[in-house]
Amino acid sequence: MASVFKTVTKDRNVEKEEDIDMQDLAQARKENKQRVLTLCSRGVTFRQRHLLSDILSLMPHARKDAKLDTKSNFGLLTELADLHNCNNILFFEARKRQDLYVWISKAPNGPTVKMHVQNMHTMNELHFTGNCLKGSRPILSFDESFDSAPHWQLLREMLTHTFGVPKGARKSKPFIDHVTSFSIADGKIWYRNYEIKEEEPTKKSTEGMTEEEAAAQRKKEKKTDTELSLVEIGPRVVFTPIIIQEGCFGGPIIYENKEFVSPNQVRADLLKKKAGKHLKRVDDKVKKAVKTKELAEKRVASQQEMLDSLFQ
Amino acid sequence: MVKPKLKTVLAAEKGVDFKQQRINKQRKLAEKKKAQKKQTSQEPEDDTDSEDPEVEDQDDVPPALVPADAEVKKSKKKAAATEEDKKEAEGEWEDEESEEEDEDEEDEEEEEDDDESDAASVALSDISELDADVIPHQTLTINNTAALTAALARIETPKGPFSLVQRLTGPCPNLPKDIHDDLARELSFYQQALAAAKTARDLLRKEKVPFTRPTDYFAEMVKSDEHMGQVKGRLLEIAANKKAAQDARKMRDAKKFGKKVQQEKLASREQEKKKMLERVESLKRKRGTDDVGAADGAEFDVALEEAISGKDSKHNPNAKRAKRDAKYGHGGKKKRAKSNTFESTSDMTGFSAKAMKAKGPTGVKKGGKKRLGKSKRAGGKK
Repeated sequence: MASVFKTVTKDRNVEKEEDIDMQDLAQARKENKQRVLTLCSRGVTFRQRHLLSDILSLMPHARKDAKLDTKSNFGLLTELADLHNCNNILFFEARKRQDLYVWISKAPNGPTVKMHVQNMHTMNELHFTGNCLKGSRPILSFDESFDSAPHWQLLREMLTHTFGVPKGARKSKPFIDHVTSFSIADGKIWYRNYEIKEEEPTKKSTEGMTEEEAAAQRKKEKKTDTELSLVEIGPRVVFTPIIIQEGCFGGPIIYENKEFVSPNQVRADLLKKKAGKHLKRVDDKVKKAVKTKELAEKRVASQQEMLDSLFQ
Repeated sequence: MVKPKLKTVLAAEKGVDFKQQRINKQRKLAEKKKAQKKQTSQEPEDDTDSEDPEVEDQDDVPPALVPADAEVKKSKKKAAATEEDKKEAEGEWEDEESEEEDEDEEDEEEEEDDDESDAASVALSDISELDADVIPHQTLTINNTAALTAALARIETPKGPFSLVQRLTGPCPNLPKDIHDDLARELSFYQQALAAAKTARDLLRKEKVPFTRPTDYFAEMVKSDEHMGQVKGRLLEIAANKKAAQDARKMRDAKKFGKKVQQEKLASREQEKKKMLERVESLKRKRGTDDVGAADGAEFDVALEEAISGKDSKHNPNAKRAKRDAKYGHGGKKKRAKSNTFESTSDMTGFSAKAMKAKGPTGVKKGGKKRLGKSKRAGGKK
């Protein structure tokens, strides 16, 4: 009878502990509830699509939706997010089948960030050996420069909401085995993913030691922690922030990066440079003709002068 | 910033009343507006004329520049402060410190943002004499700090335990100056992430959140086994290629070395032959030349054979005969022996592109001396 009593009380205790855990979880869910509507526009290339699927595989709290068919009316996205019960939107906008822009937005009331995506490489292309649990929560590592300006601070918060997996998310796994890092360099945000590898520190051989020494050594080794090292998983992406809007896909622009040069501009400049070559050649031809004519006239004039001086 | 202070002192000495000035300005402004309205209503075509005095008032201020609308309305202290702000913001980016200093001020600017456009058209002409040496600037970058901080405050997650968000902000050390230096750049990112991982582990352990995955915990991974197999296959392939390249290099070296060995072997053979002849000579000398008669012929042969130890002359085929047999044929099939076969046509061992290139188009070796003309040669004989 006593043993039965013991087990029952034990069960109760366990239940109590679980209750506390559940409460914690509920609290956490309340405090940091993030769901991300993830979708892309029509006309993405296969690489862009693969990038999206790679990012999705790292985000268990994301809800994937069908491609958006409109190219201008992004206000629809707010409604979509509401429909799917999401409070974040991650939207990949492809233009001209070559440029990719990413919009990150907080669903009903904003703000919204528009960024240009460059140097993207999918997991498939990169052949990295790193791997991690599908749905494990990442450690988000931000560069110190994210503290430097208010727009960077805002960006950090929004990136945290979108790329960080909230505690107790539905498909999340309990262990932590990867780091997602964001660094600012050259005015751009560099996105990287690393697997955390834990390795036992190399043990010293206990040969030639007395038993006591060996025991002490073992104790020491037990105390020392496993060594951490990182292996990159992929994908690699660079974001250039362009604008921040106050609302959700609308509202006044509260930040604009004038250093950003649109890829269209770059391409146009290149074309102009090419066209300039021909124009310069034509111009040179005309200049040369004028010059030769002038020289000929000068020569005639000088000859005339000479003759005049001779027959004076 | 010395100027604003100096200016304020000067103003105080002169006895300039800022309040009165401001009121005057506002009155002037109102009057001007009224006059403009009247003019435009009376003679709508004369629009340009009415604007002319305004343009003249601006002196050398380009019209595209954004006016200092805010400080006109503000007290002198604040005006000085914004002046400071302006001078600092001549570049594209506003200084962070100045922004922090003037944050409350910008809040006020924020409120006036709505009627910015009409305020701008007035204030350009109304830059006071006191502000004459202020360099107006064009805001190159929209950077509305107040709105940004407000937005941040709106969406920020409340502060809680580390495991709630699992976010860390740390330095990104040794970032290279040249951002295209891939190795250095990735290394600095790696260091940033590693430092974050280490601190995160400590923090999570303190909060008793499981960190390390047990070895018997299996679950779906981000990359499928198939993908990982591909990655491993690629690694193995790279390693194999590397090894093959190394082996090939070794073989090449061995070949070079082999030639040397061959030459040495030939040289040693020559020497052996010489030695053998010497031995025969010495044998002849020992026997004496007169003794070598017909009777002793066989005996001499035996002795000779003994001297040339190992060599069996009886079983040696006639070299000349063998050569001729090979050339003209002896034994075996004679028919089609010399005609080409599939193997012989596809055998490219005798072909060398290098050798072909070394020769000119007519087969004359490049760089070979050409035969001179006849006159030149005749000239040489004279």
